[in-house]
Amino acid sequence: MFQPLKPHQWALMAAVILVMMVIPMITRDSYLLHVLILAMIFGIFASAWNLVTGFAGLKTFGHHAFFGIGAYASALISINAGLSPWITIWIAALAATIAGLFIGLPILRIKSMPHVAIVTLGFAEIVRIVISNLQSITRGELGLWGIPAFTDFTLPGIGKVVFTPADKLPYYYLVLVLLIASVVVVTLLMRSKTGLSMVAMRDAEDAAESLGVNLTKQKLLVFGVSAFLVGLAGAFYAHYIGILTPSAAVGIDLMILIIAMVLVGGLGTLSGPLIGALILTVTIELLRDLDNYRLLVYGAIIILIVMFLPKGLATLGPLVAKRFTSRSQ
Amino acid sequence: MNYAIFLEQIINGLIIGSMYALIGSGIALIYGTMRVLNLAHGEFYMLGGYFVFFLVVTYGVPSYLAIPIAIFATFILGALIQRLTIHYLLPREGWAFSTIAATLGLSIFLQNAALLLFGEQFQSVPYYLSGIVEFAGIRLPVQRLLIFGVALLTIAIMTYVLKRTRLGWAIRATSQDRDAAAVVGIPAQRIYLITFGIAAALGAIAAAMLAPIYAINPWSGMPILLKGFVVVILGGLGSFPGAIAGGLILGVVEAVGVQLTSSEWRDVIAFTLMIGVIWWRPWGLFGKKPS
Repeated sequence: MFQPLKPHQWALMAAVILVMMVIPMITRDSYLLHVLILAMIFGIFASAWNLVTGFAGLKTFGHHAFFGIGAYASALISINAGLSPWITIWIAALAATIAGLFIGLPILRIKSMPHVAIVTLGFAEIVRIVISNLQSITRGELGLWGIPAFTDFTLPGIGKVVFTPADKLPYYYLVLVLLIASVVVVTLLMRSKTGLSMVAMRDAEDAAESLGVNLTKQKLLVFGVSAFLVGLAGAFYAHYIGILTPSAAVGIDLMILIIAMVLVGGLGTLSGPLIGALILTVTIELLRDLDNYRLLVYGAIIILIVMFLPKGLATLGPLVAKRFTSRSQ
Repeated sequence: MNYAIFLEQIINGLIIGSMYALIGSGIALIYGTMRVLNLAHGEFYMLGGYFVFFLVVTYGVPSYLAIPIAIFATFILGALIQRLTIHYLLPREGWAFSTIAATLGLSIFLQNAALLLFGEQFQSVPYYLSGIVEFAGIRLPVQRLLIFGVALLTIAIMTYVLKRTRLGWAIRATSQDRDAAAVVGIPAQRIYLITFGIAAALGAIAAAMLAPIYAINPWSGMPILLKGFVVVILGGLGSFPGAIAGGLILGVVEAVGVQLTSSEWRDVIAFTLMIGVIWWRPWGLFGKKPS
């Protein structure tokens, strides 16, 4: 993870980005684009959760709170204050960050994994119930609708970019940019000194502390960055989908989806969350008829992966490659 | 505020709290013996409730027979789940996280399996006992007294088992030091299996007693699981007596809190209390600060 990328890894990354950029030029099928947009939103969420859980070793189960805070904050500010979503998504991401730092503080005091899991779950539940109860502001389970779309702008050389539900294209490129930026942030963070000390902290907390790693600062930084990215993903989701309900935007089902994605892809790897988000979003869309079984399938996937493939699919690649090279020698 | 009504609410809080105590003590037993946080614990409660419902309502089995059968069935289910999942995960590296993740997956799996098998309608069971007791201006349905009585009896039996029987000694020895217990010939694997079963059965007891009051539905496990978590945080994770005290405290705090606000804030009060306790005393209200 901390070695410089090899040429073929750079090539692979460039190829993936290129393919993602070219897809809408080949097909404008709005359903396909919609599925990919969702996969990318989940990709940001999954990468950010993986940053905390996979890399920093803080096993949290309440990140859906930040998604919901981001979504509702951006929607409510743009509706009530009339600000453009281009501004409100950043305010919302900051709100999620503040919430992240707030809940990060008590977690810092505890080293026990179950305590962290319980606190984060409880916190997310508080957020969901508060949003659901404040019906005069959020309309509760009736759903918050009338969320403004991103305002139009003109791109030199391309022309006017209009965000409407009918055309998925601008959303596609916007979320692609957000996804790439998120992955770059996570990667840079992991390749910095912070990243090294985080992994040291995850693998041997006491040893890391004794060598002078400032646990409090590192944990807060990671938690803040992670909450920011998840909040941003939530804010984008709000303006893309156009309607929010507490169960859809802050429900525990959302967290389970993300956990399944990260576990399938590979916890504690850079590409795992992205692979998992793509595979699960697409598979579930392909199995649309099985909608009633969706969560049943997610539950089963989590159990099976934990039992039989604990390191996820991302680690299969190098494994296969190793076997291949060792055979050819 | 009317004094009698207020007192009545406190007593109701204690009664519901005694059920929280049973849920919490199940979580505490599992955590105490194998250091596993069981996120599927709420599903034992949910399935226990359905077992009682099918036996009593669908098949017309008398409740005094149906409830023990349901409790035993849940015991078997709990032991089975332990054997099929946790058993394989515990010896592996990273078991602390993998058991949490696996039980979360299990929770969502069982919840949706129940939804598909039993449907989404809310079910309920008739009162086991009718009638109302009046005392010093306080009115209490006999059903609620029964709940409290069963809770006290269960706690007494569990305390006896843990303190006075060979099984209890084995459970406590394993929870104090697994390796040392193994050296003196205590079969840790069997203890884990039985502990998981007992914890599941405790959930089923709570479910059986609350079935006439709270509706049985596929989603009823998650809220009760979170209540159980609050209880074990209050009492100190892994402590059986702590869970009993934590349950009663949570019941009373909720009752007072709901009087001051409204019932839709009940869970927010519970979780805020929990986060407050974690800030202040992460080792629980009664636990000792780890040195």
